[in-house]
Amino acid sequence: MGQTIVYVLVSLVICIAYFTAVDHFLMDSQGLDYWYLFRK
Amino acid sequence: MGLVAGKKLFSIMALGAMIGLLLLPIAVSLPSLAIGADAPDAVKKEGEAKVEKGRDVYYKTEGIVVGAPAPKTTDGPRDYPRYNFESRVLLWFANQQHLYYGSFVLAVPIFCMVIEFMGVVTKDKAMAKRYDQLAYDFIKISLTAYSLTAILGGILIFTFLTLYPAFFGYLSSIFRPVMHIYALMFVAESGTLYIYYYGWDKMKEGFLKWIHLSMSVILNVIGTLLMFLANSWIGFMMSPAGVDEQGRYLGNIWHVIHTALWNPLNVHRILGNMAFGGGVVAAYAAYKFLASKTDEDRAHYDWMGYIAMALGVAFLIPLPFAGYWLMREVYAYRQQMGITLMGGLLAWLFIIQATMIGILFLSTNYYLWQALGRMRGAEKYQRYIKYLVFLLVCGFLVFITPHTIVMTPAELKAMGGQQHPVLGNYGVMSAKNGGINVIITTTVLSFVWYMRGNKVSTVSWSKFGNIFMGVFFGCAYLNIIWLAIYGYYIPANVRVGLSVPQVATTLSCLFFMFALNGVMMKGAKQMGPIEWGKISARSQYALIMLATAFTWMMGLMGYIRSSVRLFWHVNEIMRDNSPWAYTHTVGFAANMISFNVLFFWVSILFVFWLGSLGIKKAPVEAKAGVPGGAPQPAGGH
Repeated sequence: MGQTIVYVLVSLVICIAYFTAVDHFLMDSQGLDYWYLFRK
Repeated sequence: MGLVAGKKLFSIMALGAMIGLLLLPIAVSLPSLAIGADAPDAVKKEGEAKVEKGRDVYYKTEGIVVGAPAPKTTDGPRDYPRYNFESRVLLWFANQQHLYYGSFVLAVPIFCMVIEFMGVVTKDKAMAKRYDQLAYDFIKISLTAYSLTAILGGILIFTFLTLYPAFFGYLSSIFRPVMHIYALMFVAESGTLYIYYYGWDKMKEGFLKWIHLSMSVILNVIGTLLMFLANSWIGFMMSPAGVDEQGRYLGNIWHVIHTALWNPLNVHRILGNMAFGGGVVAAYAAYKFLASKTDEDRAHYDWMGYIAMALGVAFLIPLPFAGYWLMREVYAYRQQMGITLMGGLLAWLFIIQATMIGILFLSTNYYLWQALGRMRGAEKYQRYIKYLVFLLVCGFLVFITPHTIVMTPAELKAMGGQQHPVLGNYGVMSAKNGGINVIITTTVLSFVWYMRGNKVSTVSWSKFGNIFMGVFFGCAYLNIIWLAIYGYYIPANVRVGLSVPQVATTLSCLFFMFALNGVMMKGAKQMGPIEWGKISARSQYALIMLATAFTWMMGLMGYIRSSVRLFWHVNEIMRDNSPWAYTHTVGFAANMISFNVLFFWVSILFVFWLGSLGIKKAPVEAKAGVPGGAPQPAGGH
């Protein structure tokens, strides 16, 4: 059980980091600000 | 020994001849292109004072006028001779049928090339024979359809010449430097196809097989170039270039071909043709499966249907993205054209298109879930299918929601405006992008389940791999939905960019999860063989549905693309002054598309029947596979 939780947490960290990077850099490459709403 | 050497020599000569044929159009065209280039000089020599310059309507470069202006047509027998029937409808029919068959015969040889290659590189001899037989079956169907394509091409040209002589004359004059290349390439395509087909039996082993495979590459190169050239005509009609504002040719044929929409059209059409070709072959296999009398035949056609469907769907998945690119370029070229398509006169046709796309993906997923039934060990996924259905239906409903609805004044008043207070929110691109990406991601997930249906991973890190895969898909769904919702809170100019990370999220699932699954399933324990042929009849109807939906959607999209020119033969250059220069009602267009679809399917059934007449002459006498016990196709699927 403990191992499963560790695996889930590690996977979550990797996936969230990956998709955030995808969102940020692909918007940036179009000259757009992904964080537009949060900077307002 | 001497015989083998002779065969080798013959093969190399055949290959050389084909390469020669391929290069011939270029060699022949060089002088004529040179003539095109010299033409301005010729004009100069005639008299310096007579040199007239024009500005390219798209590239904005200056060039010397070498062509006549676009004719200003009038409604009458000179420019628009006619029978007692709407000429546009006749042309629509001829064009659509030629396109259906053309797409089919361009797509199927690509499948043949892939399948033949798989057969050549597969180490399992029995499996290699099965692949080879399958590729041969494919090309046989294609060959009969090829003759029909040529006949329909002839009918199309006669229709143009008879009903739209002024327009066709102008288009031919613009494309004159490459018209003969098109004709010669068609000759090269035919020659290569016939050598490829009739040489199959003679070149089935060793070095000769590689030569044969090379022929398929050449065949497909020619076919693709042919399509690119044909695309340049429609590209020119939609977004002309290389001419001045009067439509006079400025001597640069590359500008005429390389219009604003040419590249997106090329990509969109290649993917569309492949998806369509896969659908038609899958329907053929489904029909043969349903008509099969023996288990062996059922196993063969079940497998054939699966391969064709998988190849078709592999190209269907990126198709919406290519469509987005095309639309983006349309907007970049003329914003008004984009608005006519997506937000104006033709917008309702896009709702129908969305419905058809949804049906395509629903049918694909349904087939895959049914296909899980022929694998022992795949039962574990059955109870989760309802969640996939939920995701697909949600995505589908959002995807097909219109922005506004056609209403009576009373209905309008009752609803409080053109937009429904709740559902109206889903009728915008932000939500629709989310909807289609959820649908595609779910299809990828169904494929992953199918590929691991009867297997259990034996790698030491399989537990982490499974958890990671689950989390990755979960996060992908959340990211897609999050971006769709986020779009409502930011300005339109920022929102429009969100579609790119959404697409990237879906493609990440496709590439990374397929790769991860492949690594995890390497050397996996099999719970049991795939029992080819042991699949429900419903699944085969899903394949037929898939193919019909492809055909209908192709007809619809072709109509939309053509209609967006409105009352222009060549957009903003040559006006259509025939009595039919108006946009049909949605109902009429739908009926016409349905008629074209019906005609195509009736005629292709005839082609299938013709193909079945020669089935006993297949080069591999005995089918190498037996249901269930046969070596499984690559990767078990």
